[in-house]
Amino acid sequence: MDFDVTKTLDCKGLSCPMPILKLAKEMKSLKSEEVLELLGTDPGSKTDVPKWCTKTKNELLGSDEADGVYKFYIKKT
Amino acid sequence: MEDQEKGGLSQLWTLLFKKTWPLWLGGILLAFLNCLLFLVKSPWGGSGSYINWGQNLLNTLHIINFPAVKNIFAHHYGLLGFVTILGAFCGALMSKEFAVRIPPVGEMGKGIVGGILMGLGATLGIGCTIGGFLSGISALSGGSIVLTIGLLLGTYLALKYLLWEMEAMPGLSMGKSFTLLAAKENKGAWQPILGGIIFVSSLIIFAISYKENNVFTMFAIIGLIMGLILQRSRFCIVRAFREPFMTGESEAPVGVILSLFVTMIGFTVIKYMGVGTSTPGGARALAMVWVYPHFWLRALIGGFVFGLGMTIAGGCAVGAMWRTGEGQVKLWFAVLGFMLMSPISKKFIVPGFTNILPDWAKQKVFLPDYFGYFGSVLIIMLILLLWYIFVKWNEKTGKFSAV
Repeated sequence: MDFDVTKTLDCKGLSCPMPILKLAKEMKSLKSEEVLELLGTDPGSKTDVPKWCTKTKNELLGSDEADGVYKFYIKKT
Repeated sequence: MEDQEKGGLSQLWTLLFKKTWPLWLGGILLAFLNCLLFLVKSPWGGSGSYINWGQNLLNTLHIINFPAVKNIFAHHYGLLGFVTILGAFCGALMSKEFAVRIPPVGEMGKGIVGGILMGLGATLGIGCTIGGFLSGISALSGGSIVLTIGLLLGTYLALKYLLWEMEAMPGLSMGKSFTLLAAKENKGAWQPILGGIIFVSSLIIFAISYKENNVFTMFAIIGLIMGLILQRSRFCIVRAFREPFMTGESEAPVGVILSLFVTMIGFTVIKYMGVGTSTPGGARALAMVWVYPHFWLRALIGGFVFGLGMTIAGGCAVGAMWRTGEGQVKLWFAVLGFMLMSPISKKFIVPGFTNILPDWAKQKVFLPDYFGYFGSVLIIMLILLLWYIFVKWNEKTGKFSAV
């Protein structure tokens, strides 16, 4: 990773829509250029998070999947 | 590996189980299967399953005695709901998306509360988002249009609650969570293999065990495929109602609008032409299928309570089924709350409630009796078009979206 994670948001175990609601809330507390790491286990997140990023014009730097946990790295613009 | 370099079957597998299906595709496929269910016996519904399961559970536990309750495998909707969960379980396994996801305790509580509200709403309003809304509007029932307004109001209010809850009680959705049995990236082949085995052997078992009763065989097979489609496309009625007010994203509303449109065309042809031999009582009885005496107050109150419940639970009657199959434990609790509440509500609350309501608040309204078949379809198409224009406009402007 060529970026530093500013904050990690743990949404493991949570079902839709809680991960997106929490993500939206958490991103408000970040400053521009800071990166949020989102951890989740809802398979819906795989499509929901990228779509939310596109819609809100935040940058999805990358995503990863290991042992049923989906990770997303989102940079605030 | 590039897709072109793979064999044909491998490409098919990737298409079916590596990527999430577009929601509108799921919607159209489900509409087709819903029409088949109608032709075989009667349209798709979700809340009937919960009433049957709940009656069986309460009888088994000797809490309340419901006389003459059919076993879930001898009840069309008890069976349909069960195989929907099974189909979703297979779909999740084959796409390596199955895991037992245990949320923080507060979320499990929200699941059960949401389920109880859905059980109450579905029995008050006669039907859920599938039977009452999707199939009900397609059946040209006037009550279903009122139910939709109730659902929308309930969803909106419950979303406001969720946003408030995150600020005022953030602890409710925080705390220890566990994820069990998830597929490992490279070694997780057991999931697709197990899923494939269960799916194929279920089809064989249904074909053999119901050979004396074709309708049950069809319900079992169609339901199993519906469960798989639901899980792969993540078809979700809650999202269709909630998303314009949450993210503003239009995929779910558009998918549901399309599904409703196709189902309505199919149902209208069946009713207008009198197709199918399954409904006893002639053409009028067939036309009145899925038209319930809930116009207009009964549908409004039931829809409102159901809308609250499905949004707090994060899944409607059918959404809770496929997420249960996928291993989302919050929705296991929603299913439990729904199945405990709906038979209790039906037996003890609904009779008193309907007695209080004046007759004009609980009528059977079949739209073609007032506007003709052509006029009714035109009116609903116009509503769908306006809804589509609203969600698309709102997606662009974000006027009504909270996040």
